[in-house]
Amino acid sequence: MERRTFNKLLLAGGALGPVVGFASAQSQVRELRINEGGGLNGDAIDAGYAKPFTEKTGIKVVRESPNNFGKLRALVESKSTTTTLFELGTASLAQAKALGLVEKIDWSKVDALPVYPEAKDDYGIGYQYYSTLMAWRTDAKAPKNWSDFFNAKDFPGKRSIPDDPVYALPMALLASGVSIEKLYPLDLDAAFKKLEEVKKDISVWWKAGAQPPQLLRDNEVQYAASYSGRVVGQPGISYTYNQANLNIGYLSIVKGSSQAQIDAAYKFMRELTDPKNQVVAADIVPYSGNSPDFEKLIDKASTSKFPTTADNKKVQYFNDYDWWTANADSVQKRWQQFALNR
Amino acid sequence: MDRGASTLGPRAAGTQPRSRGWKAALPFVGPLLVLVVLGFNGPILLIVNYSFSAAGTYSFVNYQELAATPVFLRVIGNTFRITVLTTFVVAVLGYILAYWITSLSERTRNIVLALVVVTFWVSVLVRTYAWIVVLGNAGLVNRTLLWAGAIDAPIAFLYNDLGVIIGMANIQMPLLILPLYAAMIKVDQRHLQAAASLGASERTIFWRVFFPQTIPALASSVMLVVILCLGFYVTPAILGGGRVPMVANMLDTYINSIPRWELASAVSIVLLLFTLALFMIYRRLDKWASGEEA
Repeated sequence: MERRTFNKLLLAGGALGPVVGFASAQSQVRELRINEGGGLNGDAIDAGYAKPFTEKTGIKVVRESPNNFGKLRALVESKSTTTTLFELGTASLAQAKALGLVEKIDWSKVDALPVYPEAKDDYGIGYQYYSTLMAWRTDAKAPKNWSDFFNAKDFPGKRSIPDDPVYALPMALLASGVSIEKLYPLDLDAAFKKLEEVKKDISVWWKAGAQPPQLLRDNEVQYAASYSGRVVGQPGISYTYNQANLNIGYLSIVKGSSQAQIDAAYKFMRELTDPKNQVVAADIVPYSGNSPDFEKLIDKASTSKFPTTADNKKVQYFNDYDWWTANADSVQKRWQQFALNR
Repeated sequence: MDRGASTLGPRAAGTQPRSRGWKAALPFVGPLLVLVVLGFNGPILLIVNYSFSAAGTYSFVNYQELAATPVFLRVIGNTFRITVLTTFVVAVLGYILAYWITSLSERTRNIVLALVVVTFWVSVLVRTYAWIVVLGNAGLVNRTLLWAGAIDAPIAFLYNDLGVIIGMANIQMPLLILPLYAAMIKVDQRHLQAAASLGASERTIFWRVFFPQTIPALASSVMLVVILCLGFYVTPAILGGGRVPMVANMLDTYINSIPRWELASAVSIVLLLFTLALFMIYRRLDKWASGEEA
């Protein structure tokens, strides 16, 4: 039997059976399904973007979460996606492009307001800027950079960093004195060497974004790398954007979406570029939107809180995701190996 | 010949096999059978299919990659190590607790059993996080010990093997206690009285009369705990602090982040084979033990 036929048989008989042939029956778009990160992020999408979108178009927005990358592959392989927009990080967007899981965006059909150039990707709209930065208990000695952060002699206490090489390896290299400009291509040997040196001071390698603020509050660790939105404005926790990793949350169109769904998604994208909507969203979770005018609309006192304000943006770095797409597999294996001995 | 059900309870004499005919049973069993085949066996076939797929053709490349990367087998090995340790803790503590419950008065017994069952009402995630409040550096236990002057620095209960074993044992415990208790309560008291009347000491009565009658229930509960431990995800992720690699967490990376389902499928199939091998050893032992009994 041909493999393709066998797959089809399995699919027809397996759990995916009932899903097939569901979406194509709908001609008029009544709802737009968005798969996103969940939590406060979802509330921000609802208030900031979904509300004005529904008021203008009458199309209801249905949110789904969490946005595991594996789910995107499953949606595309089902050949009948009901979810149109899918949230991807910068790394996963690069992966999705390489695997052909997302539709190309026809920007001429999107009535977009001015946005930062990197937000207008061929395969996704960057709608939310967030950082992975160093945070610490306000009663601990304040570090200025990653070298201080990992220096347990002069900055006593326990640390927590992400259990994810995409974040941990650049941190380690910056700590060993590499400059932001010379970060890529990553020197893996040097990065792992640094982590071997400091691993005794790292008590938790975190998996979920909710962990670092909780660990800091409980005094489980004194220093933690955290997503900015989780710690900014939290009492008792200090942070700096210096040498932080600036990251963009993208919304991309799932490959195989119908033209009607895609057109609805284009209208939704327009709302994502409106700085007025972005201010509403940022009020719920302190991440910035993609508009250069965003900074002008937020109140002066809180500009230092946001990742994209001029002062903060210039001291941060973007990861090189083409490098990661090419190297993710081998780095991941080395990371799993490292995880066995830490 | 399947006699799997017999391990769940004591092998009392007089349970005659009833052969009513499968045709009469089909309307009742049918829907369940369909559900199991479509909802459980089907997806496993899909996983087998994935594990042999690569770029549109069938091949062994995923298994070759698995064999060439020692880290996969080492993580599986570590998973079995944590599983064995956890199961041992659960079996010893659970057995003692179940035995103690049988010795209580009817009223107290119901209260204690309710306390055991009540843990099912709280989600695994909440119970896992609760350990942080109890055993963390700034948790109840460490604060008390520090205050009492028993220690100078907090004891590291969490974010290591110990934390994972404590958390997992806590969650698995009721799954062992309940069937074990059910078996213990059915042990015929007259056997124990007969042994006593023949002059056996308390210890001899327990080890030579009571304990052997509970072995089948203990063994099947242990098997259940082992199988559940092998797939544990949340507790090792949170209480392990990223230092206790377990296969479910590694699979999560290969399914959700990378996503290399073909490789993840191959790892899953290898884990399944290890588990089946373990199960067969258990069946052998069970047969051997029950053969000796008869």
